Amino acid sequence: MDSSWGLSPSPCWVRQGRAGWSLASLTVSLNSELNFIASRQAGRSSGPGRAAQQAARRCRLAFDSLLRKIQGLPAALPSLSLELTVLYNSLLFAVSESDGLVEGEAERINHGLIRVLEACGVSGQDLSTEELWQKVLQDVTTEELCAPLHRLGALQGAVWLAANCLGSVTGLFRLLSDTKDPLPSAHGGENELLALLKAWSVPVEGDTSPLVVQSTKDLKEILWTSAAFLQGLQGLEAGNLPTALSLLQAATSGFCSKRVLAQIYTSIGCCTQQMGKPQTALQHLKRALQVDFQCLSALSQAALVYRQLGETDAELEALALLYKALETPAQETVSIDPCFLIRTELLVHTPALASLFSRSHPSEVKYLLAQRCLQAGRVAEAVEHYLDLLALLQEGPQHQVPLHGRSALPRIPEVFLEAASALEQLGRHQDAIAVCEEIISRTDDLIPETLRIELDSSAGGEAPGRAGSPSPGIPPQQRESLRCIVWRAAAYLHQGWAWTRLGESKEAITRFTRCLNVLLRVQLVSAASIHSSEEMAEALPEAKVLQKIRLLALLGRGSQFQELGRDKEALMNFQHSLQVCPGDPAATSHLLRTLWKLNRRQEAAALWQKLHADAAPADGQQEAPGRCVRCLVAAAITRPRHELQSCQVEALPIVPGVMSKAGEPPTRRISC
Amino acid sequence: MAHVGHRVDYLAGFCCPVGGLAAGKPRVLCHENEIYLSNGSEFVYVYDQEGKVLKAIYRFPDQVWHVELLPLHRKLYILCAGTGIYCVSLDQQSRLLKQTDGDGKEDACPSSVFPIDSDACIVPDVTLCTFTLLNDVLITLSQAQDQWWVKLHVLLDPDQESQPCRQISQVGFSTCDQTGDDGDALSSHFLPVLCCASAPGTAGPGEGLWCSGGFTLEEPLFSLLFGIDAAMLDSPMILCGFPDGQLCCVPLKALNSSEAVDGCSEVAGQAPPVKILHHLEEPVVFIGALRTEHKAPDDPDDEQLFGDSGCDCVVVVGHYGKMVAMKAERGEEAKVPEVREYYLQGPILCAACGGGSRMYYSTHSDISAVDLDWVSNASDPENIDNTAYVLPPVLSPASLSICSVVALSLSSRASEGDSELLALSAKGRLMSCDLCSPDDAHPVRLTPEKAGQRIKELLSGIGNVSERVSFLKKAVDQKNRALTSLNQVMNVSAALLSNQDGRKPVTCTVTASWSRLLLQDTWTISCVLENSSEYCLEQGWTLCVQLFMSSCAFDEDSADSATTFTFPIDQLLPGSKKEVTLPLGTAEGTKLELPLTVSCALFYSLREILDSASDSYESLDDLLPDDSPGLSPDKEGICLPLSKCTIDILQCLRLDDGTVPGAPPSIATLSDPVETFLKVSRVQSDPSSVEVSDQLLPKAPDALGDEYLPPSVASIKVSSELLKNALKSFCEGW
Repeated sequence: MDSSWGLSPSPCWVRQGRAGWSLASLTVSLNSELNFIASRQAGRSSGPGRAAQQAARRCRLAFDSLLRKIQGLPAALPSLSLELTVLYNSLLFAVSESDGLVEGEAERINHGLIRVLEACGVSGQDLSTEELWQKVLQDVTTEELCAPLHRLGALQGAVWLAANCLGSVTGLFRLLSDTKDPLPSAHGGENELLALLKAWSVPVEGDTSPLVVQSTKDLKEILWTSAAFLQGLQGLEAGNLPTALSLLQAATSGFCSKRVLAQIYTSIGCCTQQMGKPQTALQHLKRALQVDFQCLSALSQAALVYRQLGETDAELEALALLYKALETPAQETVSIDPCFLIRTELLVHTPALASLFSRSHPSEVKYLLAQRCLQAGRVAEAVEHYLDLLALLQEGPQHQVPLHGRSALPRIPEVFLEAASALEQLGRHQDAIAVCEEIISRTDDLIPETLRIELDSSAGGEAPGRAGSPSPGIPPQQRESLRCIVWRAAAYLHQGWAWTRLGESKEAITRFTRCLNVLLRVQLVSAASIHSSEEMAEALPEAKVLQKIRLLALLGRGSQFQELGRDKEALMNFQHSLQVCPGDPAATSHLLRTLWKLNRRQEAAALWQKLHADAAPADGQQEAPGRCVRCLVAAAITRPRHELQSCQVEALPIVPGVMSKAGEPPTRRISC
Repeated sequence: MAHVGHRVDYLAGFCCPVGGLAAGKPRVLCHENEIYLSNGSEFVYVYDQEGKVLKAIYRFPDQVWHVELLPLHRKLYILCAGTGIYCVSLDQQSRLLKQTDGDGKEDACPSSVFPIDSDACIVPDVTLCTFTLLNDVLITLSQAQDQWWVKLHVLLDPDQESQPCRQISQVGFSTCDQTGDDGDALSSHFLPVLCCASAPGTAGPGEGLWCSGGFTLEEPLFSLLFGIDAAMLDSPMILCGFPDGQLCCVPLKALNSSEAVDGCSEVAGQAPPVKILHHLEEPVVFIGALRTEHKAPDDPDDEQLFGDSGCDCVVVVGHYGKMVAMKAERGEEAKVPEVREYYLQGPILCAACGGGSRMYYSTHSDISAVDLDWVSNASDPENIDNTAYVLPPVLSPASLSICSVVALSLSSRASEGDSELLALSAKGRLMSCDLCSPDDAHPVRLTPEKAGQRIKELLSGIGNVSERVSFLKKAVDQKNRALTSLNQVMNVSAALLSNQDGRKPVTCTVTASWSRLLLQDTWTISCVLENSSEYCLEQGWTLCVQLFMSSCAFDEDSADSATTFTFPIDQLLPGSKKEVTLPLGTAEGTKLELPLTVSCALFYSLREILDSASDSYESLDDLLPDDSPGLSPDKEGICLPLSKCTIDILQCLRLDDGTVPGAPPSIATLSDPVETFLKVSRVQSDPSSVEVSDQLLPKAPDALGDEYLPPSVASIKVSSELLKNALKSFCEGW
């Protein structure tokens, strides 16, 4: 590689001698440019980082100004080879500096081609870039222009590859390798572009030709790898998994940095996982990590695979590792290796890559850890993680919190609610109460006295996303108010339970009552088309949660009244709860017990019989997925188990749906 | 309205360009006794208010756009146009400073100018528009790739780290609706405005925040404006006001957006953490916050807290005078912030507010204060319950009588409230204005020292008044001149437009003839402008002569080409004439495309006088309805058509009477043959007197009397022989 760096004045002088007077004027300027290039080599040795970047920038400026001088003269055949080489070098620096390919480069190549045609006496105006290339490669037969043109062609290929114009790249390489017809896809169904790239023979550069910063051969290799990787990712995106797999596997044999190799392995892992081969996926993800430990998305993918496999220990370990890696400040890995100005990283841009390799935030990973621990029943760990997360959220702006729609982190009040439920499960009731108090105080100013929501039958079927995703029926402002009410009510509910566990019945009753009062602020006005509560829940997922919270609050208050011996009030609460959720087994059992206790045995017997008859079809009920339901899940998990069990009538499931929901893997993908 | 009696002190004068300082970029900051000032040039000045000396001048590579101070580390951060943000440590200045002589009133001697080179550049970025500071984080706003980018940098300790700062995070978003044509010209005058709003209880040392224009907002306004997530994260919010009028906010702790994977968020315009708060529809010049409600004075604890407690009202000011105030409503129904728009007299150059309920803003002619404390203004105590704590329905600006101030800052030097206003005038003068109400001042007996002080104050007051008077006088004169000119223009226009049919009071006669110029025969058009009206055509009028070369018959494709010649008229008194001559081509010269249409018009540019009389570009559109006659299509001025005539080959034809070849013909005697023919045919019945063969029908119309005038038809036939001869000699040349 170093040979390409020995850019000594002599080749240029040779060219100048031949080019005659037009180049003589450049002699002086060339000297100054070459000084720059010498300084650039110094920059390279001085190490990576800013110095190298500055050196590269100076080089680009030097090449740019040289090119301007050359292009200021009319195009002439003898000097074209030099001009194209300077253009090539200048573009290489421009690309590497801007960390991606921008519009301007394509136009500069166009301009270069037009000048080539001019020199040959052919007009090249008004032609598209593809047509220009065709014309240039067909009309210009000068031997010594062949190498510079092919070199520029490779660069053009890179530009098109970066813009995902695979068709144009294929066409160009057909021209370059002088293949008239599309290659027969006979040999093993190999991809045409890859075959063309392989078949393309780079013209041998003579000793006297001006030197280049990155050789065409290297560029060819990089193009090949990028083309394979890019097409593999596109296949992955399109769901064309076997093709994607073969392309990605081909890409691993290519010429690229460790970082890209790790990305390719991760993509293979992702691909095989989708193909239903989790073990193979794990192997590839491991390889990705072996190649480059900084490839954190491999870790998060691995966590996902372990979750699928049900290996909670391994999953949590992977997540913990990921968090640890994210916590340590990322090393400044991006430094320009001067030998590879064009790298695979610069050429492959697809949505799949962006989503697969977007860097996750520590807070997201911490949340996943906490949530998974809680779901796996490791309450103590979950509490630790939740408390860490809450501390993380309060930290300064250095710790960024992802609040956007694709984040794994839910809305902040929901994080608090989950933390409260974890604390409560661990028996840290006072702490749970404090966390809930935070939600209550924050929502204090945000909820209206009454919230009247008119439900439209058309407002159905929409998953509640984060801020925005405007539901057709409900204005976002109202939805946000409704969410605040749900959060506040849930916080009161948790407080009620916590006080219950602390044995403070009166406090508990106060919280449950507040919870019910908050819920009363919502007035759901349904259109004529909505009759049943199911339909309403469908139109507004939060409505379902509201009902559940009301039921749980009524049950909690009823049992606390019972505790205090105020059976009649307890009875009223239980009856009310049955009205809210007809047929709810827990409510029925509470009611049954109270009736029995109050000596209203006939009523109790009738109720029991009715319940027995309804028991069978009662489980079919499923819940609409969504974030708000999840905060209910958290609520349900916390629910003191013994309290339910103590009043359980045999053969009745405990709060159906809710429990089953808790065990289910969340639908959201970890995106790292 | 009148609020006279504020004491104004001149502190120092700074150099300013000829046209005076433009608003937007100059900046005045004050910390303790030091004033940091940039006047839009490449200099930043440090002025000691106590010692009244200029302590340091820093010179930057380019125009300074923005200056912020981090008092904690005693560092100045300066945004230089097109290069980036520089950091200057103020502690170094004493080392660097060569002793300046005591008099810092005028421009200090150049020896104390410290040039700042690129080593001090901590954020090199050519796309930067503005920035702000919050403790040790630097928030920048830049424009690249058709998007705005808010970036967060952490300032690192230079002793420990190799870099001066590190970028943490960024978010890009577009203010979609004004990337188009007409907005750009206007928008480019203005820089976006950036500031930080802290959540209650999170602000550290208050002055750091205060210095950089940031503020702390109270609950519930913070939650209502920015949402519960930002409130629960205790995240400061970044507020951005854009030249297109949009006001956006984004939480400092969530400066990231999902990469636009599917492009959905692109379509929506805003990435989720970015929220549009309002759209002002005019360039935002200021974002600030006020405390409009006073805590009950009987509660000593609250009194204690008052200094530190946050603001309860956000104000945003647009360039043309629209002001938006946002405040939490105490109503029970809707939990939304109350947003009220006010219209102040624009154009507003700058504004400032400092924790109280008053906002100060400066126009060209005055600084005014508006008070948003509604309760104190409510006259009817019974209404307070209903309308308590909402914003006042109208504002009554109180004048401070200081004109043409381009940068304002409230000094926190005194212990309580707004006490002193620092202002930089367009002429480069730094002033301080004492804001203590004159009512509060108790009359005291004059001691000699106080008398001296008083006299000083009065003198400075007189200076201020005289500057103001001269400014106003200039403005009035300008407006008077504009009105006089307009009157003239309207008179002339009315005279020309009212008698369309009859003879116009201003005429323009077009004749074409051959003349001899510089030994070459040239075909010229001469236009004689005659003013027979009773008004004088003043300076500003222009005679426009437009030549339409109609396309030749054999060249259908070529479009009509028009050439316009304009001749400014210095003064054309009633009854006088002015002749202008246009050479069209020489005999040997270029081919003329005939026929040629000559159209003459008078034009008066309104832009000039209206621009000088007012600052608003809209005024012209307001002044003149779209369908006013005579208004030129682009509304630039008034265009009055005078005459139009066609010149054809006949007028061009020159008949050579001299038969001797080589002898130049006497051009002076040569008149237009057609004219001659027509003239002659009117009086003579004998057509043969003309050289051309002709027919005339009917013959001798005059003989039949005036009452019988049949339509006269004349046809002129040019003998081809004659033409051939003429053209032959024409072609052979002389």
